[in-house]
Amino acid sequence: MLISYVIRRIIWAVPFLFAASLVAFALITLPPGDYVTTLAQTLAESGDQVDQARLAALRARYGLDQPFIIQYFMWIGGVLQGDFGMSFEWNQPVAQLIWERLGLSFILEFSTLIFAWGVALPVGIYSAVRKYSAGDYVVSVIGFLGLALPNFLIALVLMYVAVVHFGVDVTGLFSPQYRDAPWSWDKFVNLLQHLWIPVIILGTSATAGLMRIMRANLLDELNKPYVVTARAKGLSEWKLILKYPVRLALNPFVSTIGWAFPQLISGAVITAYVLSLPTAGPLMLQALLAQDMYLAGAFILLLCCFSIIGMLVSDILLALVDPRIRFR
Amino acid sequence: MNRIVSALLGGALACAISSVGPYAQEYHEAPALAAEVAAGELPPVEERLPDQPEVIAPYRELGTYGGAIRFGLRGSSDHNHILRLVGPQGLVRWDPAFTDVVPNLAESYEVNADATEFTFHLRAGLKWSDGEPFTADDVMFNVNDLLLNADFAPTPPRYMAGGEPLAAEKIDEQTVRFTFKEPAGSFLYDLAMPLGQHPVFYAKHYCSQYHPAYNADVQSLVTQSGAADWQSLFRQQCGDIEIPARWGNPDRPTMDPWIVSSPYTGGATQVTLERNPYFWQVDTDGNQLPYIDRLTADVSQDVESLILAIIGGNIDFGLRHIDSISNRPVLAENQERGNYHMFAANPGGGQYMTIDLNLTHKDPELRALFNQKDFRIALSLGMNRQEIIDTVLLGQSEPWQLGDFPGSPYYNEQLSTQYLEFDPDQANALLDKLGYERGADGIRTLPSGRKISFKIDVIPTNTPDHVDILGLIEAQWRAIGVEMKVNPLERSFFFDRITVANDHDAAVWPNNGSALVNYPTKLVPLHQDSRWAIAWMQWYESRGANGEEPPQEIKDRLALWEKIRATAVPAEREALYAELNQRAADAFEVLGVAKSITTYGIVNNDLVNVPDEMANSWEWPTPAPVLPQTWFYKTH
Repeated sequence: MLISYVIRRIIWAVPFLFAASLVAFALITLPPGDYVTTLAQTLAESGDQVDQARLAALRARYGLDQPFIIQYFMWIGGVLQGDFGMSFEWNQPVAQLIWERLGLSFILEFSTLIFAWGVALPVGIYSAVRKYSAGDYVVSVIGFLGLALPNFLIALVLMYVAVVHFGVDVTGLFSPQYRDAPWSWDKFVNLLQHLWIPVIILGTSATAGLMRIMRANLLDELNKPYVVTARAKGLSEWKLILKYPVRLALNPFVSTIGWAFPQLISGAVITAYVLSLPTAGPLMLQALLAQDMYLAGAFILLLCCFSIIGMLVSDILLALVDPRIRFR
Repeated sequence: MNRIVSALLGGALACAISSVGPYAQEYHEAPALAAEVAAGELPPVEERLPDQPEVIAPYRELGTYGGAIRFGLRGSSDHNHILRLVGPQGLVRWDPAFTDVVPNLAESYEVNADATEFTFHLRAGLKWSDGEPFTADDVMFNVNDLLLNADFAPTPPRYMAGGEPLAAEKIDEQTVRFTFKEPAGSFLYDLAMPLGQHPVFYAKHYCSQYHPAYNADVQSLVTQSGAADWQSLFRQQCGDIEIPARWGNPDRPTMDPWIVSSPYTGGATQVTLERNPYFWQVDTDGNQLPYIDRLTADVSQDVESLILAIIGGNIDFGLRHIDSISNRPVLAENQERGNYHMFAANPGGGQYMTIDLNLTHKDPELRALFNQKDFRIALSLGMNRQEIIDTVLLGQSEPWQLGDFPGSPYYNEQLSTQYLEFDPDQANALLDKLGYERGADGIRTLPSGRKISFKIDVIPTNTPDHVDILGLIEAQWRAIGVEMKVNPLERSFFFDRITVANDHDAAVWPNNGSALVNYPTKLVPLHQDSRWAIAWMQWYESRGANGEEPPQEIKDRLALWEKIRATAVPAEREALYAELNQRAADAFEVLGVAKSITTYGIVNNDLVNVPDEMANSWEWPTPAPVLPQTWFYKTH
């Protein structure tokens, strides 16, 4: 049952991915101009001049003077053979650029998820069980603040305060001496020393949201007859709450795992941009702004893949967690 | 500049500007290099330097070795920032004052009387950063196998005269001669600019492995690297003057003071350049330059984080990206906290903003309107430039039309200062005389009954001040009965709408720099910056195949410009330029608003030998010609 369901979903993903890649590529080529004109404009804004003749040669070399559909097939043909092409801007293989960044994205995303769950679960349960207590009000206010404040704004304020009042630089994920160093235990420790700042910044809104969802779901369950019955039969309060209503209230959490996959690429682009984090988001934004088509296209294609996989994974997990859900 | 061209005039006059230091035999080097020599990893400094290294007298004082210059790079399209600090090490370079060209990799040069033959004598014993000799063969490789090789890239027009590219000839190991069919009046200036590095950019012994003429099996390297063809592989490994890959391969030999160790690549968060042990300049005491060990840059995406790094004292030198008027107060205020002071960067000539009305408009009514000189005069008189300067530019400029500042040989008073006064009465009188009556809403109408209304295109992200200035002009012109609407555009739209489609009514753009090196795009329709005459520019660029044939006056000016390009005699060149200026002044096609303003960069208080004022230009790539290799740290 499960296997055939998964296979069916994967087969359906193929035409979807194809359509998505076509739309993605079309969207990238939609703005007027191309990589070469964007490059000329960017350099002109900094007062540099570009060699027009060389630019024209570049355009021909990259096939930018070809019609859209030919450019698309040039690209997708390579992708099908596992070759994502060369980034126009960096003259480096796209695959190399992307994988370099995805690893750190994964660490950041995973840590943020753990942080958000680790905080949101207990606090959400607490504020539901102790509804309208002083503690509930305090965490609710903090939660609303976390939801209302954009992450990048928190990042900017924190950066400013850190530099101006403490003389510390909170950007990046590594100290300068570790940035280009190969992986080592010291580098990993250095990463952990820097990681907590973006994790907290990025985690605030997610935590706040999950906290509210947990509280609301749990409140719905707490007054149901099965809870009253269990309590009447003398089950200890914490065991009762954790074993039955919390388990039901967890469903939305499981669903969010699905969203976490595409977040690997598109998550927190602006915050990462502001904090100069070496993750995938800023590189994708850069590629889109520079109309570096192969790089941007690869990112968007991966984004689609991750979305599909993420949704599949959370559907499967949901069914495992909640036996009421069945595959069809 | 006059000096150079006089030198040309003298004919076959050798310019031995660089002299040999009094203690030329005794050289010193950085401690780290001395340790490597002691360990036997590097030859001694006397062997690494050329036979007669160029002796540089530092700007203020002799320095000591050590330290790093930290600057701030952005994550995309910022490779030229590195170029500006490292400097384009060409055959010649600009002097620090931006008035003259001085020898660089060439020890001296000779030019024949009619500026068709340029002979360069390379410094004997020059070495690439990997220790291999730099000789005339490298120049021949660069010119014949790459610059003139249409398979690699088209030959840029500055290496051509009379429609023919230059020819290079190796006289001996240290001497090369470039010959042009017709006089190449500005060739030496072109060679001093960043885009003039082509003849000496690639190291033959390294880069020829990626060239099919030297490596029959280049295809296997291409396949192995995943590049599309040998040209892509070549650019990937050896870079090009203006692409990020120039700073992407630490193995590529260069002649630069610092060489890349942590490359500027797509995922880079930090870029580092270390000293070149084979650099070929020494100070007057025989100390090998550079003084500074390394350049480091954090790659940040955002200009705001760059500003924050400056306030936090994490940047030692900065000008690019940060010198907007709006950043100046915050930078000035935090000088003490960040341990830096500010230096002035002077544009030398030009306008903060020009307004190009589209004289080749597709709409015949607007075209007729814009082509009336009296209408343009009325617009100019209707602008209150002083109000604009006082409010938007914080009083830091003065009213100006076009052209160089007084003192330049290319200054023309009429071109720069005509119709600058704010005189709405006179403007109204001119418009009344043209017969444009005001309608019920106070806006004048054309004979067809259509309102006089047009849009001015501007890129808000490029220069936000331009939008504010246009806002003021909008109100000022409304008072004389002309409706103008500000049209902010995303930059690619701007480019497409104007340069490609010629669909604009009018556009604004900064036009900084002096006529010494700038193309007079506001006087003659030469390239995309001539937004007042795109159709004529297209006609000129395509030699009549596209665009629209310009009127005789414009054709005369184009011919005049070609004559200037080919003239090396200074007096003749200035006379021709004066005629061009006068014709443009009489035609009064483009409106200027205010003079280009001096901007400010920041420099660490402990960094010595950085001038308090320097030029701000791409052609004189700030700050390379003031020689960052002579900067050093002194703790006070």
